[in-house]
Amino acid sequence: MIRVKGLTKYYGNKCAVDSVSFEISRGEVFGLLGPNGAGKTTIIKMLTTLSRPDSGDIRFNDIDAVGNPDGIKRLIGVVPQDRNFDRELSVYENMLVYGMLYGIKDLQNKIGKTLALLGMYDERHSCIDVLSGGMQRRLLIARALLPGPEILFMDEPTIGLDPQIRRDIWDIVRDIRDRGTTVFLTTHYMEEAEAMCDRIGILSKGKLITVDTPAALKESVGAYVVEVQNNNGRLNRVICSSRHEAMEIAGKSGNGAVIRRVNLEDAFIKLTGETIER
Amino acid sequence: MMWYPVFYREMLLFKKKILKFGYVFSSLLFPMIYLFAFGMGFGREIRIGDASYIEFLLPGIVAMTSMTNSFNLVSNALSMGRLYFKSFQVIRQSPISPMSIMSGIVLSGIVRGFTAAAVIVIVGGVIFGVMPFTLLSLAGLTLNLVLFSSMGVVVGMLTKDPEDNALYTNFFIMPMAFFSGTFFPIDRLPSLAKGIVMLLPLSYTNILMRSKEITATEILSIAALVIFSLAIFLFGARLIRNYSE
Repeated sequence: MIRVKGLTKYYGNKCAVDSVSFEISRGEVFGLLGPNGAGKTTIIKMLTTLSRPDSGDIRFNDIDAVGNPDGIKRLIGVVPQDRNFDRELSVYENMLVYGMLYGIKDLQNKIGKTLALLGMYDERHSCIDVLSGGMQRRLLIARALLPGPEILFMDEPTIGLDPQIRRDIWDIVRDIRDRGTTVFLTTHYMEEAEAMCDRIGILSKGKLITVDTPAALKESVGAYVVEVQNNNGRLNRVICSSRHEAMEIAGKSGNGAVIRRVNLEDAFIKLTGETIER
Repeated sequence: MMWYPVFYREMLLFKKKILKFGYVFSSLLFPMIYLFAFGMGFGREIRIGDASYIEFLLPGIVAMTSMTNSFNLVSNALSMGRLYFKSFQVIRQSPISPMSIMSGIVLSGIVRGFTAAAVIVIVGGVIFGVMPFTLLSLAGLTLNLVLFSSMGVVVGMLTKDPEDNALYTNFFIMPMAFFSGTFFPIDRLPSLAKGIVMLLPLSYTNILMRSKEITATEILSIAALVIFSLAIFLFGARLIRNYSE
């Protein structure tokens, strides 16, 4: 459905995105996982026509999104990281203007249904500023879904939200996927990527290191981890290919060694050499 | 009619703001001060040609008000929307064409500028009892609004910091307001200064604002404003089309 090849973007002399290539199939949830500054938002901006790549090719259902950005605008919905509402307008008025921009027919009815789907119908006459952070994030999703996009782009959809609301948003994303919409999201939360994504692309310093399912990513680096606290109080991790190997290393390390299964964070650290601040 | 959603949004925002004291105050304070200070100070004492000074001044203040309001409101709204609130990005990512976005924003600038100008016309008529306007004034006012709304889009798209808008206002808009025939006739300026002033579009608006009949000067003024407006409008649409973060 989406094919990205050699996508590159410079800001001055700094290469923000370095020859990134991947493909996304219809109906999947694809996640880009990386720390702040890895290039996730730049990639999403290029995919959603807001930023022109310096080189590379983006195709949506064989439509050239770089040469013909207007050709894909009706296919995509965007949930940006910024809560970019018109704050002077009500929930309904924000939805109304957005729907008009997309030329949606029977708009009043569709706004009502979309707000109801996101549990926001009772808030339709509220001002934006009285909505909580979680409600504003839901409204961003509702607004993006209003034109019925084939692909929904979500840039850090749960950033700044507390754990319970974050899980509510995950449920909403799964529901969107179940309704047949392809979802592309960026995140720097490991558990979010693991919980929501069918496949994950690991991004580091503008480069896409690898793309695979969460299970395959974990398997690619090993099976078990031995965690040992050293004399300085730092936690050392040793990734092992088998439980037997892990037991041996733990035995040599003395008391306090912990053996556990490899998680996505271990895979991320092993593949990129970086850690992500939570 | 693809421009209509953009225009409708701007009008919704305008409706919410128009009754706020700060909005009205910042839009009309200086034109009112100029009108009352110069109007009451010199209004009936000084004559320019066969007209009283207030009859000369009022069209100039109306032109200046339409210029500052259409320019400032459009450039501020666009630069803030683009750099701070990120609401411009919502419109840019929608299927509306750059030309339609430009048209919608410029039309909203016309309405905003026209509303402010109408207040000055009414105040001038009620307080000073003068209404020195013709259909040519209306044509001049309309072209002025198109031109400076378009210029507002250009500045709103180019500025890298909303605070930079004040630079454009202080170094371009305000000098133009004073030297383009708002407060005194251009032909009283030295010939070199007059030549420079005739490069400023507001000069042509002021000529039309005070015109009673069509002569070569009026035709030249209309042509100059149309050319300025068209060039800046197309440049603004091009900036929107080429927008990239």
